[in-house]
Amino acid sequence: MRINTKSLTLCAVLTALALGLSTLENLFPITLVIPLPGVKLGLANIVTVFALYSLGAGPALGILLGRCLLGSVFAGNFSALLFSLLGGFAAMLVMIALRHVPGLSIFGVSIGGASAHNVGQIAAAIITLGNTAVLGYLPILLGVSLFTGGLTGFVASLLFRAMSHIHFQTGDTSYG
Amino acid sequence: MKRLTCLLLTLVMTLSLTACGSQHKLETHQIFAMDTVMDFAVYGGDTQGFLTAATQEINRLEALLSRTKTESDIARINGGGTVTVSEETADLLQDALRYTQLTDGTFDMTVAPLVSAWGIHTETPKVLSQTEIDALLPLVGSSHIHVDGTTVSLDEGCAIDLGGIAKGYASVRLAQLFEVYNIEGGWVSLGGNVYTYGTKDGKAPWLVSIRDPNSPAGAAVMVGLSNQFAVTSGGYQRYFTAEDGTVYQHILDPKTGAPAQSDLLSVTIICTDGTMADAYSTALYVMGAQGAVDFWRSHSSDFDMVLITADGKLLYTPGLENSLTLEEGGSYEASAIA
Amino acid sequence: MKQAPSPKLRPTVWDGLVAALVLALAIGTAVLFYGNLGHGDQLTAVITHRGETVETVVLSTLQEEKTVHIDGEYHLTIALSPDGVRVTESDCPGQDCLHTGTIRRRGQSIICLPEQVVIRLEGSGNGPDLVLG
Repeated sequence: MRINTKSLTLCAVLTALALGLSTLENLFPITLVIPLPGVKLGLANIVTVFALYSLGAGPALGILLGRCLLGSVFAGNFSALLFSLLGGFAAMLVMIALRHVPGLSIFGVSIGGASAHNVGQIAAAIITLGNTAVLGYLPILLGVSLFTGGLTGFVASLLFRAMSHIHFQTGDTSYG
Repeated sequence: MKRLTCLLLTLVMTLSLTACGSQHKLETHQIFAMDTVMDFAVYGGDTQGFLTAATQEINRLEALLSRTKTESDIARINGGGTVTVSEETADLLQDALRYTQLTDGTFDMTVAPLVSAWGIHTETPKVLSQTEIDALLPLVGSSHIHVDGTTVSLDEGCAIDLGGIAKGYASVRLAQLFEVYNIEGGWVSLGGNVYTYGTKDGKAPWLVSIRDPNSPAGAAVMVGLSNQFAVTSGGYQRYFTAEDGTVYQHILDPKTGAPAQSDLLSVTIICTDGTMADAYSTALYVMGAQGAVDFWRSHSSDFDMVLITADGKLLYTPGLENSLTLEEGGSYEASAIA
Repeated sequence: MKQAPSPKLRPTVWDGLVAALVLALAIGTAVLFYGNLGHGDQLTAVITHRGETVETVVLSTLQEEKTVHIDGEYHLTIALSPDGVRVTESDCPGQDCLHTGTIRRRGQSIICLPEQVVIRLEGSGNGPDLVLG
C-alpha cells in the first residue's frame, strides 16, 4: 500500500469522524436496557462501511484501530477498549467477507456487520466478566443490530450517492 | 465458491459463540439434623460428592455433640464422672470457654440445667419461679467444668449444651469441604448459621436475606456475602406464650437464668469464623444494643454485625456499608454504627 | 491490488436474506436461553414433607387460592395464592410455621420442624439466594 498525503488526510478525517460518532453513541443509553457497561450501538460502523468501500480493507482496519485506541484514551476507560476492539473487528471481518458476496447491497453488508459487532461485544463481556450468562442479551442485541445495521447502511448509501459526482482518488483503490 | 466459503465461515463464527451458554444449576440437598433444617446448595465440581460428604459430616457431628444422643461426648460428660472425649470435642470445649471469657459470660454452655428446666426446646415449656431459678443458678459458670487435655469432668448437678456453637462449628467443617470437592460456588445453611462460598455466578456475591423479626416471612435487609459466615440469633426464632400472655423467647441470660430481656430483636454476626459468629450472635443478643455496640468497638477487626432493635432501628457496622441492600419501604430506620 | 467492488446502494432481496438470517439467529438464541426455562422462571412454591416433594405449584397460574393439607403426626393447612404462601392452620407445637406469615419472594421459606415440612419459593426474580435467621 502506497501512502500519500491525500489518503493519509482522508484516513485522519475518517478516524475523527468515527470518534465523533462513538461519542454521539453515548447519547443513546443502551446500557439502560442492557446493563453491560461497554456495549454500544455501533454507529461508528458507518465510517467502517464507508472506508471499506472507498479506501479498501487496509485503511479501514487502520481507521478502526485508531478509533478504538483513541476512543478509550479519550474516555479514560480502558476496560471499554476490549468491547470496541472485539465489536469493531468482528464487524470488519464479516463485512470484508460479505462485500464479496454478489447480490448484497450496502444494506446487507451493514446489517451483517452490525450483528457481528454486537456478537463481538457479547464476546468481550464474556471475557471481561468470565461468565456466559450475558449470552442471554444476545437475542436482544441481534434484534437491535437489524435496526442499527439498516441505519448504517442507509447513511452510508446517502453518503455514496452524495459523493457520486465527486471524483475520489486514493492510493490503492478508487471509487468514482 | 470462495465467496460462499466466506459467508459460511461468518455464520459458523457467529453461531459458535452462541452454542456455549448455560447458567449455573445449583445442586441442593436438605436434611433435618441438630434440631433444625439444613440446606446445602452447590454448583461446579463434584457436587454429589460434596452433598454426600456434607450430610455425613453433619451426622457425625450430631452423634458427637448432641446432648440428647446418649453415646455422644456431650451426653457422657453430662452423665457425670470423669470422661475421656475426642480431641475435637476437647478443642470445641476450649473454644466455648474462651468465648465465655471474651463475652463476659453472656455466652455460657453451662446454662444447660436452666435450659432444661424452662423446657424451651421441648413441646411443653414452663415458666420457672424465681425460687426455682435461684436454686439452679449456682450450677452455671465456667468454673464448674474441668478440661484437661481430653479428660473432662463436671461438678455435681451441672450440665453443658453446645447448642450455642455446635452449628457454627459444623458450618466451619462444611466450609472446608468446598475446596476438597472442587466446588465453584455454593452455600450451606444450618438453621440460622450460613456459610457462603465463592459467588453465585462468577461475579455477584450470594444475596443473603436477614429475616424481619417482626414479620419473619419478609426480609429486614439483604447482605451480599462471599466466603463468609453469617449467623443470626433472635428471640423471634423460638418462643412460647405463657398462660398469662407473657411471651418468653428461647435465649437465656446465663446471669439471670431467665430468658434474656433484650432490647434487641435479632443480632447477625458476619465474619470468617463460623464458631465465633455463632457464640457472639447469642452473647450479643443477651448483652443488648448498647452492650453489643460496645463489644464490637473493642473487637471491631474480628467481625461485622447487623442489630435490629425493638424500637425499630437497624444498626450495622461500617464494614457492611457496601454489601447491604435495605428493603424498599422497610420498617427499620437504618444507620451505620460510628 | 484488486479494486473494491463499488457498493450497490439499493437494498436487494439478498439483503433481506441477511436480515432474515440475523433475525433467525436472534430468535434461535432467544429460544435457547429463555425457552427451556419453563416454569423455572416463574415463582414456584415447592412443598416437601419429610424429605419428599408433595406439591409443586406455579403461583402465577393460580386462579384462586389453593389449599394443601399435610397430614402426619401433626396437621398443617397451607394456603397458596398468586400473592404468596402461608400456613393457615397447624396443630404442631411451637407454631413457628404460623408465626412466619406469608412468603412472597424467591428464596423465602416456611419451615415446620416438628412435622418436617418445608415450603420454599423458587424461580427467578430479585429475591435473595438464601434466608438467614
